[in-house]
Amino acid sequence: MKKAYNYLTILVFALFSLSNTYAQISKAEIRATGLTCSMCSNAINKQLKALPEVANVATDLNTNTFTVILNENTTISPATFKQSVEKAGFFIGSLVLTSKTTSIKNEKFIVVDAKTIASEEVTFQVLDKGYVTDKEYKKLSKSLKKLETYLANNEDDFHIKILN
Amino acid sequence: MRIILLLLILLGFQKSISQELFVVTDPASNVPANSLAINAMQSLFKEKFEPGYNYHIMPEVTYGLNKSLMFRATAFVSNRNTSLVTEGGSVYTKYRFFSSDDLNSHFRLAAFGRYSFNNSDIHQEQIEIMGHNSGFETGIVATKLIKKVAISSSVSFEKALDNTSKNPFPNSLGNNATNYTLSFGKLMYPKKYTSYKQTNINLMVEFVGQTINENGKSYLDVVPAIQFIINSQARIDLAYRQELVTSMLRTAPNGVYFNLYYTFFNITK
Repeated sequence: MKKAYNYLTILVFALFSLSNTYAQISKAEIRATGLTCSMCSNAINKQLKALPEVANVATDLNTNTFTVILNENTTISPATFKQSVEKAGFFIGSLVLTSKTTSIKNEKFIVVDAKTIASEEVTFQVLDKGYVTDKEYKKLSKSLKKLETYLANNEDDFHIKILN
Repeated sequence: MRIILLLLILLGFQKSISQELFVVTDPASNVPANSLAINAMQSLFKEKFEPGYNYHIMPEVTYGLNKSLMFRATAFVSNRNTSLVTEGGSVYTKYRFFSSDDLNSHFRLAAFGRYSFNNSDIHQEQIEIMGHNSGFETGIVATKLIKKVAISSSVSFEKALDNTSKNPFPNSLGNNATNYTLSFGKLMYPKKYTSYKQTNINLMVEFVGQTINENGKSYLDVVPAIQFIINSQARIDLAYRQELVTSMLRTAPNGVYFNLYYTFFNITK
């Protein structure tokens, strides 16, 4: 019984910490890696469209870039996009998100370039392992080696670069 | 032979764009998670020692459980006994255990296994658990996609069992073999994508070989193919299989494949 209670505590804690990585995202631009065919691309397209938070997906088949428009006032974790692309059998090469600035102002979103954001909306790239190509990740591990949280590869925090 | 040469020349000279959904070899990539694909593979091979053709139809269902693991079930129907008879079936699974992806390229490795049963008569030295022998096969496959050119190679061990007690595997024949394949694929059209509705055309050449482990008897075939991808969801393959060299008895080595394939994405929410 005590064991079950412990598991329950872990589960609740896990759910709670996971929900913290959710942000109010309006748009996601995903570049997928590892594919060149339209049937492969369609597999990602269908995975993304099946997400209840997604309003529309537009694809550039030549670059395998998916522009995902989310429903208004949706909160979603960047990890959801990664899971969808990987379910289709591929990987994320770059993920650029647009969200409400207030919703990423917490310890789960670590801004690596120490930029301050004045505007209401922010566009940022996720730099963690699995959200950039393997080559880029190697480069980033060198340039961000002072950031312990980056090298730790925790799944419940995100390192972001502000683009606007 | 002329067609094969022409295809090889075309493949050699065209600038790269490609595909890895080969006709004979399954690549290291899997079907998408939570998708269901249905497939009817048909083959018509000319009998070597008697008049007529050997026709097979193999309906298949493929399911992607998650990003790494897929399952497939196949039924074997053939006209070997004059009328069309369901002779057996098979279950297949493939696990992708390595993946290194970059923009427009990947290198992947997968392990696969197949178990088949078949009740037809055993009529050749070649071991083929896809529609002829009961038995199992296990192996690994490596697939490299470089800037839209796909190259895939597999090695497997195949063992034939009795085709039920009525048709036991003959003691005089070697009952296990090593199989090897080498496949090349290239997308010829479109040069530039505009939508999912565009039909893609792929050209492929596969080399398929087998060596019976006990006595070293072998064959090597070439399979040129043309493939159409329609609406980014359906697939039509047309392929021709030609024996290049053999030192074993095969009753119908040469013939054509006609394959129809359809994918249902996200079958459960």
